[in-house]
Amino acid sequence: MEDKIGVFVCTGYGIAEALDIEALCKVATDEYKVALCKTVDSCEGPGLDSMNDAIRKEGLTKVVVAGISPRCYLENAFPEGVIVEKAALREHVVWCQPAGDEDTQMLAEDHLRMYIAKVQKMESPVHFEAEEPLDKSLLVVGGGITGLTAALEAAKAGYEVRLVEKTDTLGGWLGKQHRSVPTRPPYRDLEETGIDALIAEVEADSRIKVYTSARTSEISGAPGLFDVTLKTAANGNTDSDVLDTLRVGAIIQATGWRPTDPREHLPYGRLEDVIRNVDLEEMVKNEGPITRPSDGREVKSIAFIQCGGSRDKEHHSYCSSICCLTSLKQALYLRQSDDAAKAYIFYEFIRTPAQYEDFYRRVQEDPGVFLTRGEVADVTRDSDGALIVTARNTMPGEHIEVKVDLVVLAAGMVPNSADGEAIRALEDAKVTVTEGESDEQRNKAAEKVEKLKQHEGTEILNLAYRQGPDLPVLQYAFPDSHFICFPYESRRTGIYPAGCVRQPMDGLGGREDGAGAAMKAIQCVEMTSRGETVHPRSGDISFPDFNLQKCTQCKRCTEECPFGTLNEDEKGTPLFWATRCRRCGICLGACPERIVTFKDFSVTIVSAMIKAVEVPEDYEEKPRILAILCENDAFPAMDLVGKHRLQYSPFVRIVPVKCLGSVNIEWIKEAISSGFDAVTMIGCKYGDDYQCHFIKGSELADSRGENIREKLEQMAMENERVQLHQLQISEYERIPEIFEEAAAVVEEFGMNPFKGM
Amino acid sequence: MGVDRPNPAVRIEPDLKFIRALNVQGADTLKKCFQCGTCSATCALSPDSDPFPRKEIVWAVWGMKDRLLRDPDVWLCYQCNDCSTRCPRGARPGNVLNAVRQECVHHYSKPSFLGRWVSQPACVPLLLGLPAALLTLALLAKDPIENALGISAGAEERIVFAYSSVFPHWLLNAFFGFFTFLVVVVLITGMARFWRAMKAEAVENGNFTPRKPLLPSIGATLKKIITHRDFAECEASRSRLLSHLCVFFGFAGLSLVAIWVITARYNPLIQDDFAYPFGFWNPWKILANLGGGAVVAGCLLMIWDRLKNSDDVGPGSYFDWSLISAILVVAITGFATEILHYQRLEPHRHIAYFVHLVFVFSVLIYLPYSKLAHLAYRTTAMVFAEHTGRTREATSPAGKMYGVKQEGVNDVANTAAEQ
Repeated sequence: MEDKIGVFVCTGYGIAEALDIEALCKVATDEYKVALCKTVDSCEGPGLDSMNDAIRKEGLTKVVVAGISPRCYLENAFPEGVIVEKAALREHVVWCQPAGDEDTQMLAEDHLRMYIAKVQKMESPVHFEAEEPLDKSLLVVGGGITGLTAALEAAKAGYEVRLVEKTDTLGGWLGKQHRSVPTRPPYRDLEETGIDALIAEVEADSRIKVYTSARTSEISGAPGLFDVTLKTAANGNTDSDVLDTLRVGAIIQATGWRPTDPREHLPYGRLEDVIRNVDLEEMVKNEGPITRPSDGREVKSIAFIQCGGSRDKEHHSYCSSICCLTSLKQALYLRQSDDAAKAYIFYEFIRTPAQYEDFYRRVQEDPGVFLTRGEVADVTRDSDGALIVTARNTMPGEHIEVKVDLVVLAAGMVPNSADGEAIRALEDAKVTVTEGESDEQRNKAAEKVEKLKQHEGTEILNLAYRQGPDLPVLQYAFPDSHFICFPYESRRTGIYPAGCVRQPMDGLGGREDGAGAAMKAIQCVEMTSRGETVHPRSGDISFPDFNLQKCTQCKRCTEECPFGTLNEDEKGTPLFWATRCRRCGICLGACPERIVTFKDFSVTIVSAMIKAVEVPEDYEEKPRILAILCENDAFPAMDLVGKHRLQYSPFVRIVPVKCLGSVNIEWIKEAISSGFDAVTMIGCKYGDDYQCHFIKGSELADSRGENIREKLEQMAMENERVQLHQLQISEYERIPEIFEEAAAVVEEFGMNPFKGM
Repeated sequence: MGVDRPNPAVRIEPDLKFIRALNVQGADTLKKCFQCGTCSATCALSPDSDPFPRKEIVWAVWGMKDRLLRDPDVWLCYQCNDCSTRCPRGARPGNVLNAVRQECVHHYSKPSFLGRWVSQPACVPLLLGLPAALLTLALLAKDPIENALGISAGAEERIVFAYSSVFPHWLLNAFFGFFTFLVVVVLITGMARFWRAMKAEAVENGNFTPRKPLLPSIGATLKKIITHRDFAECEASRSRLLSHLCVFFGFAGLSLVAIWVITARYNPLIQDDFAYPFGFWNPWKILANLGGGAVVAGCLLMIWDRLKNSDDVGPGSYFDWSLISAILVVAITGFATEILHYQRLEPHRHIAYFVHLVFVFSVLIYLPYSKLAHLAYRTTAMVFAEHTGRTREATSPAGKMYGVKQEGVNDVANTAAEQ
């Protein structure tokens, strides 16, 4: 069907007062010869209705509305199947520029040109159709409190669940606990853990199939199409029997935690009566009375040493969140067994979040529990076999000692995760060691092997992904995710870490996390089945198409995709798994051959927008600055610039992109050769505390700067003309300053000599 | 090793029994303390260096009995409960110190079983029965002794309704004199042990340096007591100043009368008109009535105060209530005896007098073990504080801590305003 393009120019919101509407319409009718150009007095209500009437009556297939910001429309405001692009004349032009000014008019006209040029090149996205039916069942890895809850919640919601547990029993760490800290008001009395009831419920549920003593030896495929091979869990990863093969839609990784090794100066392992909190818990659970490991005598006094493995820069610098509660609880075990017993707790800070404060107070009120801040300097053995704990800077004195029967160290939590990327890097390095081309290369690889060897054999999920067999991790070996806004997200679509593998938490937190991750997994299988992507472009149906005939196997796309969407064949040709894709366009930005296109976003489409801008001749002294804005933070921030009526340079032309990572170097080249004097890119913050919605987009845009510099050099242009800025939405008032900075660069280096060529 | 560790570690062995004893004696809120130090900051009486009661609370939480028993600061607190009303955790530091003081009394006043009896409500019948029995025994022994010694009823019998016909003066004087002597011995021994303990602790900590000779220290302390100066500093319960003044000077007046009466009897220089018993308008009688009235008023005010503040500082301990009640009963039975005497009601007046005597005797003999012992131990601690320079004046010459602070705040505000 032939395209029929229509343009609507809105005259409301003060637009008609600020701009020459007739001249604007002439751009559409005379320059672009659109089928229809109409003015409407509003973009909402009757104005919107009249646009939709015209669209239907005239049979328009592509529409540009020059009016309010695209973020101001409701979903489905326009008829389905019609491509509608919205130019924000109100927010980005009228609210930020002087009315009736020549430059303001030029800005508005360029806006219209860019969006008409854009729709000319755009096609309607079509849903991804998988060759096989997409599966909606879930795989839960880990049978602790989080995994059990996730399985049960998903089953209750009507989904089939396969639960894999590596040990022979369900229950995890909570199953090894004698009692749980109180989870209900008045938060005073220890409770049953409730894990047995949960296990029974899971085992009784017909939708849940439980595999104990099992591990995932391979997971291939993608959301909706995961193929899982289960093997019996054996020590190490030696080949063992295949238990089962499964097809699942999404995966919840609830692999939990293991205790940290206590800090060096605490004589754990050197003195028999110095044990960890987990050891004490098991002793109480399995044996009852607390006894000394050395002589079996009943314990009358315990010194608990907090942060025995956590919150130390040299060790594990994060707080494990449950150790304080555990020691308070275990102090009660002792006190409730013997009214004359004494429990000392040495801490740096007591951390009992939320309502657990009440439990802390309750334990504090016990006359036989002695809490003090202080650093434990030493633990030694007295001649009578008792232990002497020496501490400094305590409440009752600067330098004190207490004599106790047992010392319990609060061992923190280490996530049971595996660094998928490191494992892959280790494999690559090993290959280079044997097949490297030069000695230098081989030596470097050998060093890398040495550095990464602790990752050897740590695989958990065994994903058949090009970027490694497990979820990528960020800090402290916790899986990388956009954890503040979207707790269960990971960098592998359809795989959701939950519970202590994600963040240290207690049993209650595990329950909450399990339920939350189950909901996310269900959301994933449902959206995937409709061909939609999940967070953060939820509902986007477009996906990249790879023109593989032109592929040079450079592997940039397969390496740079933050979500491991692409596998490779032996030659390095990308194999695209559509349901893993989050539609960030980073592959598009990476590809030097420009073979990656979305129906509604491509090198050609954005190039057309750039070329549509009318660049005045040199002598007119009207520079042009191309502003490439990330759609996630910078572009919405631009709306706020308008809302707050901040004035910005009228020489700026704004192009929104999916992510700064999707910026192809071609666009920069295009801009410079079309006469733009500077290019400014604004994306999200990157680094360890990144805010990029696609993890690495803005960082990649920065690291690709080298290529841009090379290109500019070829064109004999100054590097400074291309800038990259990091911005979060709340910093919108910086945007006019950033534009001024670009204008200053033009001032300094002069106009682009390519103008008019 | 001495070079590496200038401060050898102090071994701490919490005394759980001690903590439980404190809990029973009104410090059940003790362990709520989370060490913010508001109590010490808010206390108007605490010196700037090593202020109380924060450190005392830590010691109490950790059951460090020895430390507390040797600490003069415990007694520098007047339990105004400014700290308790401001404590963010409701740990009631004022009550904790009160309980510690009670433990001190039990520790230093021997025999300690009497202390335990006095602190137990269950022992009330025993505690009152004992003086009643002793007094009855003495009265039963009156006639045989009088006969044996040939003492006649003598001059008192000239007045028909004199109490001395039943309770002869010689008997009461001898009886009370003997027990007063015992009480004084117990108190002086206790005070001496307390002094030595405080001194030993200070020496051990290397901060025993006398700043003021002993006699001037005693003088300064007595002046403070008479003027109730420290009482006036406390904010939370101003009315306590008045009530304590009433009771204190009421008692002083009554004691003066008692001393006069006893000495007058044996002083040949005093004429009969001034001798006992007095007429209603006799100046001594007026003083006695005023004193009794002051005690009653003071006690009622104290009770009113405690009930009023019970939300903030709790209802008070048995230790407090038993003393207030006993003193109130002494004063009321005293007046009853007087009124019934004027009404000439028989045998009511003798019964009232007997009850009065039982309570007076109880207050007297249990003095070293009851809250009243504070007049000995608090005075000792105050003298010690004067002697070693551990007073507010000595440690913070600028005056009240909060006064200085407020000045500072105003300065800042003024400077800001000027700018």
